[in-house]
Amino acid sequence: MTRRFFVPPAFLLVALLPACGGQNKTAPEPVPAATQPQGSASQSQDAAPLAKASVTIYFPSTAGDTLAAETREIVDTKRPADRGAQILAALLDGPRTEGALPAVPPGTTLRQLWVRDDGNAYADFSEELLGGATGGSADEILTVYAIVDSLTENVPAIRRVGILVGGRERATFGHLDLSRPLPPDLTLAATAKATE
Amino acid sequence: MKTLRPLVFAFAIGTAAFAADPIPVKVSTDTSGASTRVVLTFAKKVACAVVEDAGHVKIVCDAAIAPDPGSGTPDDAILKSFGPEGDRTIVLSTGRGYRRVDTFELKNPTRLVVDLQGTRTAKAAPAPAAPQKSLPVIVLDPGHGGVEVGALGPAGLQEKDLTLDLARRLKVLLERQGVTVVLTRDEDRVLPLDDRTAIANHNRAILFISIHLNASKRKSAIGAETYFLATAATDAEARTLAGLENKAYESPDTAAAASSTTPPDHGLELILWDLAQNSFLVESSKLAEAIQAELNTATGVRDRGVRQAPFRVLMGATMPALLIEAGFISNPEEEARFKDDAYKDKVAEAIARAVASITARP
Repeated sequence: MTRRFFVPPAFLLVALLPACGGQNKTAPEPVPAATQPQGSASQSQDAAPLAKASVTIYFPSTAGDTLAAETREIVDTKRPADRGAQILAALLDGPRTEGALPAVPPGTTLRQLWVRDDGNAYADFSEELLGGATGGSADEILTVYAIVDSLTENVPAIRRVGILVGGRERATFGHLDLSRPLPPDLTLAATAKATE
Repeated sequence: MKTLRPLVFAFAIGTAAFAADPIPVKVSTDTSGASTRVVLTFAKKVACAVVEDAGHVKIVCDAAIAPDPGSGTPDDAILKSFGPEGDRTIVLSTGRGYRRVDTFELKNPTRLVVDLQGTRTAKAAPAPAAPQKSLPVIVLDPGHGGVEVGALGPAGLQEKDLTLDLARRLKVLLERQGVTVVLTRDEDRVLPLDDRTAIANHNRAILFISIHLNASKRKSAIGAETYFLATAATDAEARTLAGLENKAYESPDTAAAASSTTPPDHGLELILWDLAQNSFLVESSKLAEAIQAELNTATGVRDRGVRQAPFRVLMGATMPALLIEAGFISNPEEEARFKDDAYKDKVAEAIARAVASITARP
């Protein structure tokens, strides 16, 4: 009984883009792609060493259909978009333990990340994200939730994550509904956390 | 209006929201089937909601409409009469035989189909003569198709071929249980995910099963798993959004807002689509358990269990809906099994046994 009616799927993006210019209060300025912030300049002006924070990054586990956790250190910036960009940079950099697999295909970069006041973040990746997929839902689920769970776990301001590719919204990569931000799937994270 | 059960239907931005002239709507009725069908053909796109009220089913649009009653009132036990109420609402006055309403929409031209389900006592006598019509429908959805091959096995097995093969085998078995089986595709072609769900809704299926084969970069991954929908939105959140959206329709700025900053209608549409399956999650999970148990017994391969994920193809299904990942064709051992007819039959039989629990009628 619940049906769709005439709403173009590209709606979100159309609606989102004007917000990217910072005109909208709910859309803080995007963080440039995949840059490890050289320091949270907007937060601290002094020359003292920047505080570090320990974060948990999720990768597909080699052991099964779960996410394996690895620990990383990032600059302890409080601005959600800065923090999120560092998290994703670590995710794209790949795993460092035997028990984890890359979450995204080689060459994938983060184009932009927006974090909105409503708890939704939108991560826009390069086209490489779609390359090299096996076509199975198992890998798709782990790739998507490695991104979603890593962001939501470490950035309190992010509760849901929308994934875009090449600046475009995708309804799906083949199986999962990606037409709107996803909440984390807490069942996928393996309980034992691997360390660096 | 006292809303007993608001039927979350068809919310969308109508470009007609600003139109000064009423939008012509042709209303036709058909009482030849088991249900009484009312088809509203709109001259322009318009957003409508279907609301069930005591003794009435109301179709409320967000723009002025001008209904053309066509051939007139059917006056049967399910639908007594219909007519306009105000300039935006069509009221269907239901009769004693009325039980519930189902709706779906069609495009080109824009049509809203309202099926009033119920019984016509006057026509009860000839019912035994047409048992075929009352057979429940199960919709099977062979995953992928056409250029979307899906997963690929190391020895060349393609997911799209195997899903269709399994669906055809399962169709034969299920039809022996006294149901009509509709395949979303019975050939090698591309079919969008939303169309697959729509086919199940259109056929008023009692069950929707999407059949897939999995693949993983981990070659050791093996075994079957059964999914039902993980809904991202809680009912409470959805209701809140629905309330906001209804208010938005009262604002003449709605369409302008749609093209500027915020996407309220987009979010609403998806959450309502999502909610359609919410009503069936308990049934879906029970059936998923039954299917998974049968698959484990039949195949003897690793039990990967019943899982939940936000699969696009399950959203919007107005019946119990499942997605079966019958095995990993990226695993050479499992791929080899799926080249064997006897094994494919075994998998289809396992699913059919589990489904029998809901097709068995007293």
